[in-house]
Amino acid sequence: MKTSAVFSAVLSFVTLASTSSAASSSRTDLPSTFTPPQVFKNANLVHVISLEKNYVKENINVVIENIDKAPQQDYFLPFTADQISRLGGVEVKDRKDASAGPFGAEVVGVDPKSDLQYLRIRLPTPLKPSAQQTIGITFYFLKAYNPLPASIKQEDTQFLSYSFSAYCPSVYTTSKQKTEVKFPSATVPDFTKLPGSGEVKEFPQKQGSKLTYGPFDEKPAGALEPVQVRFEFNKPVTHVARLERDIEISHWGGNVAFEERYTMFHRGANLSSLFNRVKWAQSQYYQPATHALKEIKFPLRIGSADPYYTDVIGNVSTSRFRSNKREALLEIKPRYPLFGGWKYPFTIGWNSDAKNFLRTLSGNAYILNVPFLEGPKQPEGVEYEQVEVRVILPEGAENVKYSTTVPVSSITDADVVIHKTFLDTIGRTALVIKARNLVDDFRERELVVSYEVPLLASLRKPLIIFGSAVALFVATYILGSLDFRFSSK
Amino acid sequence: MDSSLHEVWQTASGRAFVPTIGKDSQFYVGFTLVLIALGLTGAFALNARSFANLPLLGFPASLALAFGAVYMFCAVGVYV
Repeated sequence: MKTSAVFSAVLSFVTLASTSSAASSSRTDLPSTFTPPQVFKNANLVHVISLEKNYVKENINVVIENIDKAPQQDYFLPFTADQISRLGGVEVKDRKDASAGPFGAEVVGVDPKSDLQYLRIRLPTPLKPSAQQTIGITFYFLKAYNPLPASIKQEDTQFLSYSFSAYCPSVYTTSKQKTEVKFPSATVPDFTKLPGSGEVKEFPQKQGSKLTYGPFDEKPAGALEPVQVRFEFNKPVTHVARLERDIEISHWGGNVAFEERYTMFHRGANLSSLFNRVKWAQSQYYQPATHALKEIKFPLRIGSADPYYTDVIGNVSTSRFRSNKREALLEIKPRYPLFGGWKYPFTIGWNSDAKNFLRTLSGNAYILNVPFLEGPKQPEGVEYEQVEVRVILPEGAENVKYSTTVPVSSITDADVVIHKTFLDTIGRTALVIKARNLVDDFRERELVVSYEVPLLASLRKPLIIFGSAVALFVATYILGSLDFRFSSK
Repeated sequence: MDSSLHEVWQTASGRAFVPTIGKDSQFYVGFTLVLIALGLTGAFALNARSFANLPLLGFPASLALAFGAVYMFCAVGVYV
């Protein structure tokens, strides 16, 4: 122990000069007197609210027009403080010019205690007076639904309710707009009805699994029309409160090890009576549609191997791994079917050859490309409230840089820390990226990390063992050559 | 955030990382090296604890143990 400490001190001149990219804060505060200037007009707006998954995906396609005399660049979108806390995955694009790339979007708060917050969208080039631009704004709301009724029997069908505004919330005057709501099925027993306009007597119009409120005529800035819908959702409302994803790189072993720790909840309707295991087991013979979560599928990258699935008790044997040239599908069954209000924390992990994710740049520089999220792929979707991705690089790695295609507004923090594990002396360089409010739509988004490992740092492990063993040999020799016998004189 | 890294990744295509010892050979290499280390240590400890034998037996034994231990860790699934 002491020997290794001495050698670690000797070798510690190999400095850990990891430079991390500055964490981009996604929130800026403006003075409390701030109100968005009335420089734009929404010429035409289509608001699409998709309730098909267990999170809400909203898409606002809007033709904006600069009604000011000067070129304008900042477009504001209002949210309540509660919505902002559940908002994620904001992406803004030019609908007519795909090459314009995603626009910058950040949350700006006027006052921490205010209920009104704004999302500021920065156009890549200022919009000239009287000019128009078509932008598409996509974002997600987590924890969006309330089960109604809140408690049901285990064989009952689950219904969810969702409240929103039939007029798209805007800080600008909207000349023409409509709101489309998409449901997972055509069973929508309750929805708020509004008086129609023009040829339509009553809103909404229902077409299959879609409701359409509007088109509405000109509405002033800030106009709202609260409506509520209640729809069938006989699928689990899976909510991952926290996901810790570790990606550990080993140059010696030529391996990339993945481990994911989930804290999973079902946010659907609670059981109105105690769970009946016998009834559940009987019902499984005829495979009825159920709102309980009974199986989770993880399509992993081809070449994944050695999977494991554990929870707080230990190994869970109800899993299957199909691995061949075309797929690497990990199917797990929780220890118990997950009903509304229930929690299930579990861990999965697997290995893969480093050649699938790691490339050599030049000399001692390497580049890694891994999926930012690789969670379950379920037909009903999965939402992630807090995500912590840890990329554990080899010991002594420095000059760490990263880039990800996950929306910048979802990344809350990025830092380089030290992680100590087997055979480490100074510990490994670990890049920790924290994100919030993500959904499984982002599961194939890339995380690219580049780093350098100097030769001496990469030889640190054998050098430490070599030094310790040599010290042992020398000590043995010195102790063996001492004469402890009583003198004959 | 360095957005140019995606292009760097593309330019590095064809230069996949290849470890010095592949996963399939790690156990054989590691086990052989540890055995050599054990043999040399035995020879040193039993009847040759002289100063001259430190570089002759002790250093090669330490070297074999150093790389052998690292590869044995990897061979049993603890990818260090």
